[in-house]
Formats: sequence, structure tokens, C-alpha cells
Amino acid sequence: MKKFNLRLFRHIWEAKGQFVAVSMVVAVGIMTYVAISLAVLDLDMGTKQYYELNNFQDVSVELVRINESGIERIRRMPRVESVQGRVFFRTPLAVEDKDEKVNVGISSIPNAENRINDLFVVEGGWIQDERRDVLVLEQFAEARGIEVGDVVHPQIGGKEYELEVKGLVGSPEHIYLMEDEQNLLPQPSKYGILYVSEEFAQQVFGYSKSYNEVLIKLKNPNEDGIFKDELEKVLERYGIRRIIRREDHVSNRIVSEEIRGAKQMANAIPVIFLGVAAAIIAIMISRMVKNDRTSIGVLKAMGYSNRNILIHYTEHAFIIGAIGSVIGVLAGYLLSGPMANIYQEFYRIPFKVRIFSWSYLLMGFVLSAIYCIGAGLWGARSVLKIAPAESMRPEAPKKIGKTYIQRATFIWKHISFSWKVVWRNVFRSKKRFAFLSVGIAVTFSIALMPAHMLNVFESMFFDQYGEFMRMDYEIAYTQPLSERSIMEISELVDTTDIEGKIEFPFEIENGWKSKVVSVIGLKPDTKFFNLTDSGGTELRLLPNSILISETMAYILDAEKGDYVNVKNFIPFKDDVRLRIDGIVKQSMGLNAYMDIGFMQKALLDDEMITGVMLDSTDKVKEKMEDAPNVSSVNSLEDLRNIFKEFTKLTNASLSIYAFFAGVLGFAIVYNSTMMSINERRLEFSSLRIMGFSKKEINRIVLKENLIMTAFGIVLGIPLGRWLMDLLETTFQTEFYNMTAPIETNSYIYAAILTVFYVLLAQYFSSHKIKKLDFIEALKNRIT
Amino acid sequence: MTSKKILIKAENISKYYQMGEVEVRALEDASFEIYEGEFVVILGPSGSGKSTLLNIIGGMDVPTGGNVFFRDDEITGYDDKLLTMYRRNKVGFVFQFYNLMANLTARENVELASEICENPLEVDLVMAEVNLNDRMDHFPSQMSGGEQQRVAIARAVAKNPDILLCDEPTGALDFKTGISILSLLNKVNKNHYKTVVIITHNAAIADMADRVIKMRSGRIVSDIYNDKPISPERIEW
Repeated sequence: MKKFNLRLFRHIWEAKGQFVAVSMVVAVGIMTYVAISLAVLDLDMGTKQYYELNNFQDVSVELVRINESGIERIRRMPRVESVQGRVFFRTPLAVEDKDEKVNVGISSIPNAENRINDLFVVEGGWIQDERRDVLVLEQFAEARGIEVGDVVHPQIGGKEYELEVKGLVGSPEHIYLMEDEQNLLPQPSKYGILYVSEEFAQQVFGYSKSYNEVLIKLKNPNEDGIFKDELEKVLERYGIRRIIRREDHVSNRIVSEEIRGAKQMANAIPVIFLGVAAAIIAIMISRMVKNDRTSIGVLKAMGYSNRNILIHYTEHAFIIGAIGSVIGVLAGYLLSGPMANIYQEFYRIPFKVRIFSWSYLLMGFVLSAIYCIGAGLWGARSVLKIAPAESMRPEAPKKIGKTYIQRATFIWKHISFSWKVVWRNVFRSKKRFAFLSVGIAVTFSIALMPAHMLNVFESMFFDQYGEFMRMDYEIAYTQPLSERSIMEISELVDTTDIEGKIEFPFEIENGWKSKVVSVIGLKPDTKFFNLTDSGGTELRLLPNSILISETMAYILDAEKGDYVNVKNFIPFKDDVRLRIDGIVKQSMGLNAYMDIGFMQKALLDDEMITGVMLDSTDKVKEKMEDAPNVSSVNSLEDLRNIFKEFTKLTNASLSIYAFFAGVLGFAIVYNSTMMSINERRLEFSSLRIMGFSKKEINRIVLKENLIMTAFGIVLGIPLGRWLMDLLETTFQTEFYNMTAPIETNSYIYAAILTVFYVLLAQYFSSHKIKKLDFIEALKNRIT
Repeated sequence: MTSKKILIKAENISKYYQMGEVEVRALEDASFEIYEGEFVVILGPSGSGKSTLLNIIGGMDVPTGGNVFFRDDEITGYDDKLLTMYRRNKVGFVFQFYNLMANLTARENVELASEICENPLEVDLVMAEVNLNDRMDHFPSQMSGGEQQRVAIARAVAKNPDILLCDEPTGALDFKTGISILSLLNKVNKNHYKTVVIITHNAAIADMADRVIKMRSGRIVSDIYNDKPISPERIEW
């Protein structure tokens, strides 16, 4: 091996702690990039393949009723490739535990070729006996322990049916299974899908030769927007409830949002990590070059060229990048498998898709090389300025004036000597001070993430289910009923309060922007919804006006005072134009709210409601068990419990950010301290000769670090706020409104975590002081 | 003496530095020649410009004015690349404070120099020459000053340069070790026919030189041939 290279490796070995620390920062950055990118690629490609293979819909329509000739009319539309009608209804499923409320969506599946939203048989077979056989959605079957050969008991129209499970299936429509858009977390044990023959579904739901949903494949899927308008005209008479384009399909939308968010994360995290690593490398190399000034002069005197020496020092950075990227790429690749599995478990794709893409691995190396070599060249650039003749002479001492704190004579007089050493150094090493403070600020802001995001989720859920929605129970009907049903429910259960409500989908238009949402009709003086704007002002429901949620306002680009058009698909009912009376603060989901009386009159039928809300200490679920026309009974307590489960999962994934912050904080503080100790060997040796113990010197370094840490934390507060805002924007979807103020507790937690990392780094660097040979340091002229 | 070939020729070289508002004249109008195989001592007090002179003829620094020739080539006309090649293949430096690479052993320090030049000497032979065979695998921190300076000389010699430029090679050593280093340099000069230039403020060393160039305040004040150079062992200070 060339002795020049040997020198390089020995250099690295001598400062192995520093090199390992920075390499780990690079490794974590690259690992995150590779792991997320590969896992997301699998999810993305898996979803696409699944859609392709199982003929996932481009457009679906929910309507009152459509017969075969209606389906034929759609088929004749020029943009349509294929069309399929289906009967779909939600009904309760009878289960062993009478207290448990389980709902299923019963969906018809035609016995035909080239089915749209075709099923993927995971286990068992297909429907044989069209009157008795059922296929069960895999994730529901798994959650409830349903197996092929079991019998399930859906309750349809008050009658319990016995259906035999012939197969467990996956569906491209339910990669992410949710009962409706209001329940954002999947509860596979509480809601599932049963697939029955078309004949059976039509018979039990009274839809002979007709359907209430239509699935459509288009010749050109990109034309779904224009097709939607055409379709509205064709289906005017069939009572459209809503038309859903693929991009608005809930399951698809959630998967797409996940892919989008994860891709953003995969790009953002490495930038932070490689940026920090580059900063450390640049400083490390530049300090190394400064300390090696005489050696560099000697090397030049021996005949080594500027280029040789520049490359030599840049190689230090290259090796950090190489170690970091090899570990990062390998770990990222290994991690991508389990990550992809988690994705494919969570987003249920029944077959495994593992795509090995060299490009991400290669990109991992390239990214690391660019950052590290760039930083190395930047740090080593002063090599070019070192004149061999000059480098043999000791550097002229720097002109040093009084620091700011020394000018404050009164304070300075009352500080002990060791504190004077500390403060003087803090104020004198401005670059180190800036580097460490910014580094700590970045660490602090990342450490803020886990606590804050947990708070965000918590406040999102508790705001929604407690502050915003205040009922104990929500009961949804299988079909719209008259307001008399409120009385009937009151007779069945003891209630302290009960109100009827309407929840009905309408398309709301503002100019060319539009969105189909559940419009909720409530009593103007409802006590079950706390409708306020973001300023906390209470909003009132008035006739001829509408309130819309914040996310809805964002999508429609609408504000208070604007007029929107509520498009009515119900036959013989007109569209209405309403003034937006306020923007409702709502952390989850998107809705619009109207005065129930006005809504009944203007858009639906007098006295019509689709469910009730109530407060009760009675056993509501049990008592509603056999109530006719009840599709679901949800308690707010249940929803909060789901959240608690969800929090456990989230906690685990968020703790990774605490680890990330740790790697960064440790590397920054450890490297900076080691560099500082190296450069201050003479100073520390003098202190030792003056009678300072090693412990006292250690304490000086610790005090310096803690002062800079305190400053870094203060600096980290605005940086953290900015980062949290960025994160919230990144993860903001139309389902979540992730804005919450950062709580004091989160700041405290992040600060404790940051100080812990600083102390850890201090502990590991203290051995350097212990090992320092003071006498040698004072007399040493070997470079 | 005149029959010898000229190795280095300096014509009216000067070197000025700007230090704040003051112009420092480190070297003024210096002209001299150094012949192949000569042992030259440049003598002068500190600040007399001798190190500047050595740096210029060694291609480590460039003069403000004047010309320097190595054989027939004008090195003052060299660009950075050519100067590097000149230092690499023609010149060997020995410094007062040895300036060895701390994380390389004695042998590795020598190899570090030999492996980049065109025509290096066998490292083992050179190490034997400086009497360091048994210390080859020691790191500088495990060696005495004299031993380190021997390694530094071996490092300079192993490149097989035409000229050895030594900047106060005994400055950091005690008398006995200093003499042994001078003997070694004398051996290199006599046995290997290498031109050796030593700069020093120690007048006693001048007695072993073939020629003594005296400097004061940046100027050459005398350039005298020594007809009877004495052996280093006879020097005393």
C-alpha cells in the first residue's frame, strides 16, 4: 500500500470515533432513503399491478336505483370501455358477543368474465350455490377468525341469513378498508365486506334486475373528469347520490397519499442527514488541514503536488461517505423488506411484490459521494493556499481582543477562573459556537417530532371525538326515515338528549372547483356538534346558508361570504345556491353543515333524517341490537379506544425520530468536542500544569457544551416550529387537518432528549482528555 | 573548482514581503553558484535571509526578482507543476525539527518520499546507511531527536536527489548528536557525491564546508572557498 494511503488510514484510525459518528449520520440518511424508496416502490408497483390485474374501476356511481337499460345507456357512452352494476348495502352481522356491533357491506359480484373490481381469491374457491355461498374480504376474515367453511349471519331487513364462506378474497377496492370516510382508521374486526351472487343480493335487497351502484372502466382513464359531467346528464333520472372518480376513491386516495408522503420523507430525511454530515465533514477536514499545516508543507517540499494533497484530504471524506453509504445502502435494502411487508399488510395487497431497483441503491452511493466529496473538497480547499516555505514557520498568533462578556467588567470580575475559561472560549470560537448551536438546534427540532406528532394525533382525535362531536352515540339508519323514528329510539333506550340528523352526500361547487361530501343537517341549536371557526367564534346554522370545514374551504378555494352551489342529484329536486356563513374548525374529515329544517325542505324531503345522535348511560348497543333499520351504532368511547390502539403503533414509528435526533446530536457534539480538545491540547496542558485536575478540565468542556446546547435549544424552537409546520403540510390530507400548537411538554421532552445526547457525546469524548499527555503536548513538535 | 559543473546558479535574487504597511526585504540582490558535489554552508544570524534563500533554490518559494537556474533550466520560470516535479526529483530537504509524519514508522516515512520520485534508492540500503536498521519500525514518538533527524536525512536521500538542502539540521540537537548528523551529511556528500547545502547560524559548522557563504540583513557578504575542510568529528562549539 502506498505510504500516503497508509497515512490516510492511520489518520482515520486515530480519529475512529469521529469517523464512525459521521459515517453513521451518512448511513442513517442513506438507509432511510433506500429503505423508504424501495418499500414505497413495492407498494406503488404492487398497487398498480393489483389495479391492473383485477380491473380496478375508473369511476363508480352511487345512486338510488338503476335498471339494465340504464346500465346499457352507460355502456353506449363513447368513453366507456366496460360497465358493471352492483347492489351494495351495509347491514349488521350477527356475532357471538351480543354487545359487539359488527357491520358488513354486502356487495354483489356478477358471474361474468372481465369483472370490474374483480376479487383475488386468497383461500378457498368461488361461489357455487348462488343462494347460500359467500366470499369474505380477507382482512375482515383474518381479524374475526373466519375460515373457509364457516357460516356467517348477516341481518338483512331484520332477517338473519345463513351464508357459507366459500372463499377468502382480496379486493383492489379495499386495499385500505374503511366503513366510511368519517372513520379514518381501519377496524377490520368491526367492518368487513361479504360478496354474494348478484341474484341473491338483488333478491334480499329488493333490487330485482336493478342496482344501486355502477362501476365503470374508461377507454382513457385520464378523461374521468369530462366523463363525470357527461355521466351526470345520462344518469339524471336515476337519482345519483355521488360519482366517485378513481382519485377520490377513499382506499385509493389513502394509499396514494401514503405513497406521496413517504416519497417526500424519503427525499427530505437524507437531505437533513447528509447536510449535517457534510457540515461536520467540512469542518473536520478544514480543522485537520489547519492542524496538519506543517505536514502539508513537508509533503509539498517532498514533491507531492497540490492535487495529490487535496485528494488525500478529500479521501478522508470519501471514506466516510463510502462506509456510510455501504452500511446505509445495505441496511436500507435489508430494512426495505420488512417495511414493504408492513406496508403490504397495512395496505392489503394479496400478493407480494418485491422490486429490486438498482437505481435507488446507486442513488444512495451517488448522494453520499456528492455530499461527502463536496464537503471534503470544501474543507480541504485551504491546502492550496499553504505555501511550503511559509508552512515551516509557526503561524503568527491571532490578534485577540476582549470578548463581549469581558467587556462587562462588573460581571467578569465576579466570575470564577474556570468559568472565565469557559465563557472566553464560548465567545472566542465563534465558528464552533455557530456550528454547535445550529447542530443542536437541528437535533432539538427533530427530537421535537415524536412528542409533537403524538400531540397532534391526540388533539386531532380528542378534538374530533369529544370537543367537536359531543354525542355519546351516533346511530345510522339503513335508509332515510321520518323524524318519528327519534321517538321510537327514545322508547327503546333511556336518553338524556336525542337529536335527529341528516348525513347525505352532495356535490358542492365553487366556480370550477367541486367536491362531493357528506353534508350534515343539524338542529340550529344542536348540542352534539361544537361548530366554531379557527378563532373560536361559535358558528350558527341558518337557513339559506352553509358552513364548510377548513379542508373543504381549502379544496374549494372558498371563504366566508362566498356563494356555493349545492348540486342535487335527487330526481325532481333543484340545485341550491347558498352563502358560506363560516368555516368550521374540524381536524378530521371534510364536511358541510346545514340547518336540518332548511336542508330537508331545499334538498331532500320534509321530516327526513338518516340517523340520530344521543346521550345516554343506557346499554344502547345491546338495546339497538334488534332495532329495525339501524345500520350502525357508534359510541365516541369506541372511537377513542381505536385511537389508543393507533397511538401504540404510532409511538413505535415515531420513536425512530428520537433515534435519528440522537445520531445527529451525538455526531455533532462528539466531533465538535473532539476537534476542540485536539486543538486545545496546549491550553489544557497549561491548565494541568497550573494545577487543574482532569475532571476539572472535563467540567470546563462540559460547561462550554452545555452553554452552546442551551443556545442551540433556544435557536431550535423557531427551527422546530418551522419543521413541524413543514411536516404538517407534508402529511396534510383531505382526511386530516394536522394543525396543533406545539405544547410546552413537547419542548421539554425534546430539550431533555437533546441534553441527554449531548451528555452521551461528552461522556465518550472525555477519554480524550484522560489520555492527553500534557508534557508531550507542551514540547511536541512532531506534526 | 571551476572545472566542476554548476548545479545551482542564482542571479540577483531578491525577496520582499509586505507586512502591513512595511515592506520587509528578506533577500536583496543575491548572486552565487553552487557546484555539483559541493558541501556548502550558508552562515548567518537569524533574520539574515538564509532560510529564504534556501527555500528559493529548493523551489519552495519564488523570488520577487532575479533568476535561479538548476543546471541549464531556469526554475524561476517554472509553474507550480514544474516546481513540484523539481522538488520531487531533484531536491531533498532536511528540516531543523525533522517534520516526520507522526503516524508513519521510520521506514514508512522514508518510503513516503521514495515512492513518488522517478529514481529512488533502495530504502533498506538508505536505512542501513543512516544506521537505523534496528529502528525501522519505530514511530517518531518512540525515537530520540537524533534518530528522528537520521530518518529525515534518509527520507531526503532515498529520493536520490541532486541536492540536499538542510535548514539548521543540528539546531534542535545536543552537541554529540549534532556532530553525528553532520558526519552523516558529510558521508552522503562524499560517498554518494550529493551536493549538500546547510544553512546555520553556528559558525563552527562552516569549518567542514568546501565553501561558506555568509549572509547578513538579506545580503551575501562573503563567498569563501575553504581549502582545508575539517572532518565533522573535529568540530566543536
